[in-house]
Parts: sequence; C-alpha cells; structure tokens
Amino acid sequence: MAESSTAAPAADTTRPARGRRPRLPAWWPWGGGALLVLGCLGLQSQLYSGQERTVTTVFMFVALAAAWNLIGGYTGYACFGQVGFFGLGAYTTVILMVHARLSFWIALPAAAVVAAVFAAVIGLPLLRLKGHYFAVATLGVAEGLRELVTNVPRWTGGGSGATIPSTGDRAVTPWLGNDGFYLLFLGLAVVCAVVVALVSRGRTGYALRAVNQDEDAAAAMGVNTTVAKTVAFAVSAALTGAAGAAYAFQQVTIYPQRLFDVDITVLMIVMVVLGGAGTVLGPILGAAGIAIASEYLRQHLPEAHDLTLGALIIIAVILLPQGVVNFARDAVRTRDFSLLSNVRRYRL
Amino acid sequence: MSGDTPVLRVSGLQRRFGGLLAVSGVDLALPAGRVLGVIGPNGAGKSTLVNLISGHLKPTAGSVLIGDTDLTGARPWRIAHAGVARTFQIVKPFRGLTVADNVTVAVMFGPARIRSRARARQEAERVLERVGLGGKGGLPPAELTVADARRLELAKALALRPRVLLLDEVLAGLRPAEIDPALRLIDELRGEGLTLLVIEHIVQAIAAVSDEILVLHHGAVLTQGPPDEVLGDERVIEAYLGHRYTRRNPS
Ligand SMILES: Nc1ncnc2c1ncn2[C@@H]1O[C@H](COP(=O)(O)OP(=O)(O)OP(=O)(O)O)[C@@H](O)[C@H]1O
Ligand SMILES: [Mg+2]
Repeated sequence: MAESSTAAPAADTTRPARGRRPRLPAWWPWGGGALLVLGCLGLQSQLYSGQERTVTTVFMFVALAAAWNLIGGYTGYACFGQVGFFGLGAYTTVILMVHARLSFWIALPAAAVVAAVFAAVIGLPLLRLKGHYFAVATLGVAEGLRELVTNVPRWTGGGSGATIPSTGDRAVTPWLGNDGFYLLFLGLAVVCAVVVALVSRGRTGYALRAVNQDEDAAAAMGVNTTVAKTVAFAVSAALTGAAGAAYAFQQVTIYPQRLFDVDITVLMIVMVVLGGAGTVLGPILGAAGIAIASEYLRQHLPEAHDLTLGALIIIAVILLPQGVVNFARDAVRTRDFSLLSNVRRYRL
Repeated sequence: MSGDTPVLRVSGLQRRFGGLLAVSGVDLALPAGRVLGVIGPNGAGKSTLVNLISGHLKPTAGSVLIGDTDLTGARPWRIAHAGVARTFQIVKPFRGLTVADNVTVAVMFGPARIRSRARARQEAERVLERVGLGGKGGLPPAELTVADARRLELAKALALRPRVLLLDEVLAGLRPAEIDPALRLIDELRGEGLTLLVIEHIVQAIAAVSDEILVLHHGAVLTQGPPDEVLGDERVIEAYLGHRYTRRNPS
C-alpha cells in the first residue's frame, strides 16, 4: 500500500478536524505545576482558619479525583466503590494508631499498601467484568466493607465511631493542626497529580488507554491487559487509601457511615468527568471547580445548595460531555469554541 | 523459502459455540515465507480460525504451535510476543490515540519492547511510511478513510515485527486501484520470510498472492491446494460461489 488514498473521509467523524497546535515548551506542565504549588503555599498565610479548612478539603478532592482518574478515566473502568479504599485506608490508620500504637507516618503508607493489596485481590475477579457490571460490583464491595467495619466494633468502634488519641500523652503522633493538614493534603494532591502525570506520559499510560479503547486490540499488540488493569486499580486504590488515612487523622473521630459514604465516590466521578477524564489537568480543575462552587453555594444559597449544585453539574455535563480539558483541546485544534457545536459534535 | 520446518502448526483445531461447530478439525503446517489464502462463504469459520490462533478465542480441541512452542489456549499477548500478529476484520483502532500513537503501542509492547517513547515513535513512523500512511501520524483514527483505517490495522500488526501474520479481510472495502499496492506489500512480506495467512473474499486477488488456498466450509477444510487447482474444483464453485449466488438472489 504505497499509495495514499484520496477517498472521501470516513463517515464516523465524532472527533473534529485537526488544526495546527500552538507550540509550548516541553517542560511547561512541570513548570506550571510547580508555580501552582508555590501559589498554594503562599496562599496559606492569607487564609482565615475556616478558609484554610475549605482549601484543605479541595486538596483532598484533587487527590481523590486524580486517583479515580487512573482507573475510571485512563483505563475506562468506572469504579463506583472507590470510597471503599478511602474507608479502608482510614480504618487501617485507626487500627494501627489505636491498637498497634504506631506513628501516623507509618500508618499512612501502610494504609496505602493495604488498599493496594486489597484492590489487586478483588481486581482479579472484578476486572473481568465490563461496564456497569464492574460499577455495580465495586459498589457492592464498598458496601460490604462498611458492613464489615460496622460489625467488628472491638477493632473499629463499630457504628458509634473510633477516635484516634491525638493530644497529650496518649497521642502516638500529635495532631497536625490546620496548618499541618493543609500541607499534608497539598502534598498528597501533588503526589497524586505527579503519579498520574508520570503514568500518562509513560509506557503504562499507553497500555491503559489502549485497554480503555479496545481490550482485544490491546492484547493483540502484546499488552498484558490483566496486569495493566490490575496495576491501575491498585495504584488508584493506594492513593485513595492514603487520602483516607490523612482524613481519618484530621477528623480524629470517624464513623463508617461517613467514611464509606457513596457521595464521596460520586463527587470523585463528577469531578473527573467534568474536568476531563483521562487527562492530567482535568481532575484538578474539576475538583477545584466543584469544591469552590459548592462552598460558594453553601454560603450564599444554603437552603438550595444541593439542588443548585446538581443543576449546575447537569448543565455542565450537557454542554461539556467530554470535560473542560478535552473540550479546550478540541476547541484549540479546530478553532471552534462554540459550546453548541460541541453539544452537536457529541450528539447529546 | 527456507527449509520446511513449519513456523505455524495447527492440528485438529476445533471451536464449538453451543451446538455450532464454528471450526472443526483444521490442520495447517506453514513454513517461513509461505502465503496461505483462506476463503469460504460468510460464517464458514475464517475469523474464528484467526481468533483461535491469536488467542482471542480458546479452542475446544486441537493445538496451536508457533515454532516449537505449544501456545494452545495461551493469552493473546503471549502469542503476540511469540511472533504472531493479526488484523481485525472489523477494524479496532484506539480512538483516543493518534494514528502514530496507535502504532507506538505495538512497538512498545510487542516482542521488540522498545521502552523509550522517542525511539518507539521513530519506529512507528517508519511502519506508517511503509503501509502508505506517511504524514498521517498526527490524525485521530476517526478521520481516516476506510482504506486508511485498514492500513492502520496492518501497520499495527507489522509494528510487532511478526514471524506469522494473520490478515482478516484487509482488502475489504478497498477500491480496485488500492488493492494492487496491498498485494505488492503482501508479496514483499513473503520475500522477507514472513508466514502469512490471508483471509479474503476477492478470489482473484487472493489467488494472485497465495502459494496455496484453503477453502473452509461449515468450519471444516473443504479442500486445500495450489490456487488454480482449488478454484477449478467443482465443490468449491458450488460451496463458495453457489453461496454468493443465493445471497444475491434470496428466493
Ligand atoms: N463469539 C461467538 N459466539 C457464538 N457464535 C459465534 C461467535 N463467533 C462466531 N460465531 C459463529 O461461528 C460461525 C463462524 O463465524 P466466523 O466469524 O468465523 O465466520 P467467517 O468465515 O469469518 O465469516 P465472514 O465471512 O462473514 O467474516 C458463524 O456461524 C458465527 O455466527
Ligand atoms: Mg470473518
């Protein structure tokens, strides 16, 4: 096939035509990321303690959204039980700090490892399921974990909660304070974003995207799809478990209802989808955007917070079904910034 | 053609779907540099045969050997690493990746395992050039023509640097002017010592490049031999052309 074809374009053109992309230096994502982190560090001294806690929560959701993006965005396995890893990380921390009296700085990585191992083990059967079967199965796993935690009160405090001793002589690690947790969650968000960026640019990123698009074709290209999916799931769980560990220590007293709350999973998914699934920047923007919108509504429209936020999310998904970052990429490529033609393009 | 030790050896291959024998009792022994054309009416079991060899389906009986290695029922990536590449009848591009990145996946994960992204991309560009997709590496696959989408499918298979290449209707949907270059490429690959199994509906085209033709009918081998012999066979005309005739003129 030495000739190039002149036939009409294929009928399926869900993606827009390609224009010339503006060239940016290769280091710009790292440079931009470093500036953003410096900005967050500088911002800290300007915040009241209430604002500081809010921004800390934003960091936590940036970390969670970035983690979900690995399995749900890049790999295309929509995990609806992600909060299970969050809770698992949190309760691992409680057990290690309360019963084993280990330092938080040991409990944190241990929580990540426990979540990763758990994900790898359940991944072997679950990652054979596709689409909504996988979603429902993972949802079931998270519910099962909540039941388990509720039913072993000797270790977890059961439904009435567990408290990590964090002041005085009984504290194995002194509570970090608002300033400390601001830095801890900022650090977690940075770690998650960097892990995703490295995966995205490396060989693993190619494998995950190939698996996402077509597993049979990926396997024919020599991609060990079982390993690729399991690694993505385990790393995603590890990062989520670490966030859970930090959250448990920050809250001091934790309850299964809160730590395994399906709302947390839903938030992660919405943030990733709105920001741009399968992109490095998308979940960061999505998490920040939704967290800020939510906080603004809580202050200015407290009685209609959920309703308004829900409506905003629906409108955003209709206008930008592929997420902000993917929309921007397409728009720059085609020089077409109209939201209406975007809606038409994705045939919603 | 070097020696006669088969690169691909299939014996007694069978696949059952419930009550249907999609492939039954197929034997093959292909040495290096041999092109086997496989024809047969719709539903004869041609794609199933490819899926059984490539590991995308597990056989219910029989065996598949690549060189001296028994790879019966092995997962597709192991078979790809053993030197078997295939195309899909219904093309399967990675839609979220550019054309060049599609091929880069094969370069990075194929037997060569080139880990450096820059080197993998170079190799991908070379393969794209070879199949006639030079300069289209930056496009998303959705913007390719039917012919180019088939070229991409072929490029991904070739990027694995296979010993055995299974082509499932890569000429389908090509216009006459596009078929000749494709046949020349098949000839070239044979010259390089690849073993090819080529499924095709266009009988004249396949006869021109094949050393032998195998006719599948209801999953079994109806006959196998040199092209002119096979295509003159009464039973082949009846099974194959007869089927086409009834398809075009449903009673
Ligand atoms: N996964 C499957 N499950 C059940 N039946 C199947 C499956 N795959 C193929 N078949 C059946 O097996 C038979 C052979 O199918 P196959 O796709 O191999 O035919 P083919 O020769 O490639 O046909 P075509 O020329 O249309 O591509 C058909 O009757 C088909 O319906
Ligand atoms: Mg077929």
